[in-house]
Amino acid sequence: MRDLVSLALRPLTQPGGLARFWRGLGAVTMLIVASANPVLAQAPVQKRVLGELCAKGVSNQVKGITNLLASVDAGQVDPSWGVEIFQALGDRALICGGDTPLIVSEDTVRLATTLEPTKRSPEKKQGAFVNLRLRSQLDMGVAILRLLSEPGGPTSAADLEQLRKRAEIAPVALIERAVAMPGNEAVAEGLRDILAVAALEDPDPAQRISAIKRLAEAPSARNLTLLLNLRDGLSDAEDGAIKGELSSGINKIRFWLEVGEVSATIYSGLSYASILFMAALGLAVIFGLMGVINLAQGELIMIGAYVTFLVQEALKVVAPGLLEYYLLLAIPFAFVVTAGVGVTMEVTVIRHLYRRPLMTLLATWAISLFLINATRVVFGTQNLEFVVPGFLSGGVHLFADFIVTWNRLFAICFALVVLGGALFVLRYTKLGMFIRAVTENRDMAGCVGVSVRRVDMVAFGIGSGLAGLAGLALSPIYTVNPGMGASFIVDAFMIVVLGGVGSLIGTAAAALGIGMINVIIEPLYGAVAAKVIVLLMIIVFIQFRPEGLIAIKGRR
Amino acid sequence: MDRRSFLRNSAVAGAALAAPSLISSRSRAADILKLGCLFSSSGTMANIEGRLNSVVQMAAAELNAKGGVLGKQVEVMVTDPASDWPLYAQMGRQLLLQDQCSALFGCWTSVSRKSVLPVVEQNNGLLYYPLHFEGEENSKNVVYLNSPPASSVLPALEYLMSPDGGEAKRFFMLGSDYVWPRTINKICKGYWESKGFDESSWREHYVPFGFSNFQTLVNEIRQFASEPGGQPIIVLTVVGSSIPDFFKEIINQGIGATDIPVLGLDVLEADLEGLDTAPMVGHLNCWAYLQNAEAPANDAFKDNWKSFVEKGNLPYSPDTVIDPMVSAYDGVHLWAKAVEKAGMADPDAVRAASAGLSFDCPSGYSIKMTDENNYVSRGVFIGSVNDQQAFDILWQSEDTPKPVPFSPYA
Amino acid sequence: MTDALLFNQGRKVPGRRITDLLSIVLAVVGLSVLISGLTGTGPSSYFLNLIGQIATFGMLAIALDLIWGYAGILSLGHGLFFAVGGYVIAMHMVKVSYIATGTPPDFMLFMGWDALPSYYRGLEYSGYAIILGVVLAAILAFVIGFTAFRSRVVGVYFAILTQAFVYVAMLLMFRNDTGFGGNNGMTGFTELFGLPLAERKSVALLSAVSILTVALVLAVLARLVTSRFGQLLIAIRDDEARLRFLGHETLWIKLAVWGLSAVIAAVAGMLYVPQVGIINPRVLAPDLSLEIAVWVAIGGRGSLSGAFFGAVLISAFKFVLTAVVPDLWPFILSGLVLLVVVLLPNGLTDLPAAMAARLKGRGR
Repeated sequence: MRDLVSLALRPLTQPGGLARFWRGLGAVTMLIVASANPVLAQAPVQKRVLGELCAKGVSNQVKGITNLLASVDAGQVDPSWGVEIFQALGDRALICGGDTPLIVSEDTVRLATTLEPTKRSPEKKQGAFVNLRLRSQLDMGVAILRLLSEPGGPTSAADLEQLRKRAEIAPVALIERAVAMPGNEAVAEGLRDILAVAALEDPDPAQRISAIKRLAEAPSARNLTLLLNLRDGLSDAEDGAIKGELSSGINKIRFWLEVGEVSATIYSGLSYASILFMAALGLAVIFGLMGVINLAQGELIMIGAYVTFLVQEALKVVAPGLLEYYLLLAIPFAFVVTAGVGVTMEVTVIRHLYRRPLMTLLATWAISLFLINATRVVFGTQNLEFVVPGFLSGGVHLFADFIVTWNRLFAICFALVVLGGALFVLRYTKLGMFIRAVTENRDMAGCVGVSVRRVDMVAFGIGSGLAGLAGLALSPIYTVNPGMGASFIVDAFMIVVLGGVGSLIGTAAAALGIGMINVIIEPLYGAVAAKVIVLLMIIVFIQFRPEGLIAIKGRR
Repeated sequence: MDRRSFLRNSAVAGAALAAPSLISSRSRAADILKLGCLFSSSGTMANIEGRLNSVVQMAAAELNAKGGVLGKQVEVMVTDPASDWPLYAQMGRQLLLQDQCSALFGCWTSVSRKSVLPVVEQNNGLLYYPLHFEGEENSKNVVYLNSPPASSVLPALEYLMSPDGGEAKRFFMLGSDYVWPRTINKICKGYWESKGFDESSWREHYVPFGFSNFQTLVNEIRQFASEPGGQPIIVLTVVGSSIPDFFKEIINQGIGATDIPVLGLDVLEADLEGLDTAPMVGHLNCWAYLQNAEAPANDAFKDNWKSFVEKGNLPYSPDTVIDPMVSAYDGVHLWAKAVEKAGMADPDAVRAASAGLSFDCPSGYSIKMTDENNYVSRGVFIGSVNDQQAFDILWQSEDTPKPVPFSPYA
Repeated sequence: MTDALLFNQGRKVPGRRITDLLSIVLAVVGLSVLISGLTGTGPSSYFLNLIGQIATFGMLAIALDLIWGYAGILSLGHGLFFAVGGYVIAMHMVKVSYIATGTPPDFMLFMGWDALPSYYRGLEYSGYAIILGVVLAAILAFVIGFTAFRSRVVGVYFAILTQAFVYVAMLLMFRNDTGFGGNNGMTGFTELFGLPLAERKSVALLSAVSILTVALVLAVLARLVTSRFGQLLIAIRDDEARLRFLGHETLWIKLAVWGLSAVIAAVAGMLYVPQVGIINPRVLAPDLSLEIAVWVAIGGRGSLSGAFFGAVLISAFKFVLTAVVPDLWPFILSGLVLLVVVLLPNGLTDLPAAMAARLKGRGR
């Protein structure tokens, strides 16, 4: 300010001073105006930062990111502005070139410096390409600035996760600020973990010990690596306390990692088992209870998946607001339509073949061929695109690198519910009683007045409907195309035979066993070998116990 | 059975067997040149191979609109080998011997190509093969329209190992179990060894065709990634429906391109069709053509394809154009040029006339055939997944590098 | 089994005369193919190759009909034995070419192997290869059959078991590190028994041998099934328990016929692979093994010539229709199978009888 005043006064005493006086006065006025408008006053910092972000060469851009974060730290720039800029850069919406950078969104064009709308039109349609190194930095930048500008906001958990992944490049000073901010209590612990990573290098031994303790509390393979690296880097003369802390920390992490691995294996086994069970369940009813070999079972699963797709498409048109729940809404449709297909199969073809199981085999094979190709003709061969509902995408990180993915959890729960429902129907309803009667002794059941034909039809329908539900449950996990059924048939049959023909519990137990064994063997010998070994084990088992795990007494 | 049914059955069987010769006898007209297609419209490869039939038909229609080749109309014979490798050989033999096709356009997987190879070699036919592949082959009866690894895989690996690409130092190779992934991985390992990496820097896993349960494998990848040693990447050589299944699993387990980038060597725009690609942004692939290539020839090609699909009511997406489609299209035109230059459609003459031919590919490059072998030099694109189920162009080569059939790293 | 009751109702047991007639016809055809090959006249090489392949399919169908139509054992995994024969002969051709050129085949080169594995030893001798193929098929059949039949696994369960076996074999052969070419299979065969495979003469010779072998097999089997052994087979099919109670040890009878069927299937495979020029695990696909049962079911179960016709008919249709109307072929096939299964329990051989019955107003 003082310089400006003397600047303003000097012209009065020098040649040409009057002109300079007016120039000076103009400058003063501008400054007064500028200081009244804080954004305009900060424009130089934004301009400089944007200049670096727009420069050629990723190194310059990375420098720009660092400088932007530094200026946020220095209080020169608002963090929310930084968030906008970083996001725009990542979405290729930041158009450099021209006299000032612009941010383009669907309907508006804004000045990058002030975020105010402008009438200018951008020179290019898209911003510069963002490569992986830059993207990594941008993700980190967005995460930390969002934590600063919206403490406790809806994205905090995701932002914390991003920062955790990029702990090595995260700015320590800003994280410390974020920890201290009111509203960030939920993520404060996680942020302190990240600070601990930096603190490992701290000269103060006490800090290092507390950092090591902290990392040990959050067991993960990355933290293990960090501690191991630290231990390898220590010289003999180092503080014994640190060494001791390191050892106990490493052991602790190792223990929890093992627990995590075992849990992950159990979870994978459960999830694979639930998939196998769903595929085998319909067959368990049809083959197990009725002795009908249904080679079209895989195609019924496929039809269930396609019906789910159609429900999704219908919802897109009719009720887009409900699209998230299409999986749940499709449950009755998948069941009914597939049951309908099954009943049609039963009435037209299978009914005539009940005493001739080998012929039913061929007939159902022909039907499966027909269904696959009919679907191919109507829908085409391409994989269907399923919207992944929010509640099914991603997963939750429980502990020690063990992640529970939602879609598989959904499959597990769904399988349990369906198993419960099927058992309930079989044990506690009249229909279930008739089905069991016909299974145990067909002729006798007919003699005592059970309408055997009707029971056959309904049971076949139920078996088919269950296959349809399997298709629904599998659609978020597997690719859906006309040929998807073929991959389930042999497995489904083996599980039904292993579990004991006629017993749903047996099928569930067999699926559980097979799923677990498969998942345990897989990391050792590979997926194919695991499958082969499992199949051979089943075959050997059946040699010794042909009636399967849980035998149903009855005469056929 | 009795004698009557015996005689009747034998008559039917005999007629059925003689039918092919009856059907094809009429089409031996002298004013038609026939091209045979060996792309599956059913089975595991149907989703991506099927549209290549239509592209060849589109290219033939273009040639016919300009008066045909040597004044003769071009007819395309489409067969369906049903993703069954021996059937490719069978149909190839049929097209060459029964239908007297001048050239064959076919095969996607290297398995199918290797099945057809003896057929074209023994019967002196010409197979125009539009896919990028593992190299290590140089038959005079095959025209290799697309890049061997030196012009496709290695540039992408170099990028990923550079500072801008993340300085990759650890490699997880995951592929389908057949010749192409195995050879590619062999070449990659040789390349890494030449750069000073050793066995501890990589892992190699193979899964069967159509494999879809990647949960355990992705767990293993995460474990591999958390070990010390530097930035890990995934070199993905699975094909077909395994590609979207794999990506779904890594998305669900929260792995993004900035954590472990995936170099998907067989990933096409068509494979992204069923996926929400926002969490996949940044993964890479490399081809000789990308849909987003900026060239007037590309815009023209895309428009032609769109109207061809819509007019013919074909079951493919009119807005998706993939590299093999463009390569097949180039192949038809290169064949036509060679025939014009040679003055006849005989395979030996066509092969000799192909030397030095060039064509303006929709990728924007002018592709050329060398004198020494049947390889076509193509441009190189490295693509990066964007959130619109397509690839942004990360890098493209200055011009068309000369293809190297036999890799020094194999 | 009620299946069998229906089967025998009011029908003549198929006579030997028709099968013998077929054998003679085939022998004539085989000889004419041979002559055509030696003189260089006649149909195209493509056509000869085609009928040679179809002949091997016919043999495969006959092998299945032997156990299904006559002994009542349905196997949905006969592709396994077919593949055994095919792979062994392929190994022989690979070994011969290795000795001639000194370099291992392609599918070993990309695995990084520079020599053939030990189990290829001795395979350059064609006699050894043929015997090995037959013996391996027999051993495999014995293992599967013994464990299954001893545990009284029959009918539907046995069928599924065979599907599982062929599926396991397919998975195993898909792996590249077993040395059998993995998914790529083995191809690029140049010669067999000193004959270059590309020449028309060799094609004709192979085709002729296939057809003549089928004729021979038909003649031998026709005598077998009308002998006492054949009667035992039919008894097993109709009511195995009764036969056991009458004092016969059915296990060995079943094993014998099962082994014979496996051997015939293996020989069919050995003749097929050189003609098609490639073998890969696709031949072990469960649905292909199922198709063999479809051939037999359509052509006529329990009638050797019927099974042969079923194979020829369906294969011929397939070759023709997949070229002309590829989209329609699966529908035609499934429609045909459904029609036959529901209306004509014994395949097309039933057609005249069923139609006659309907015309006379008696119905089934």
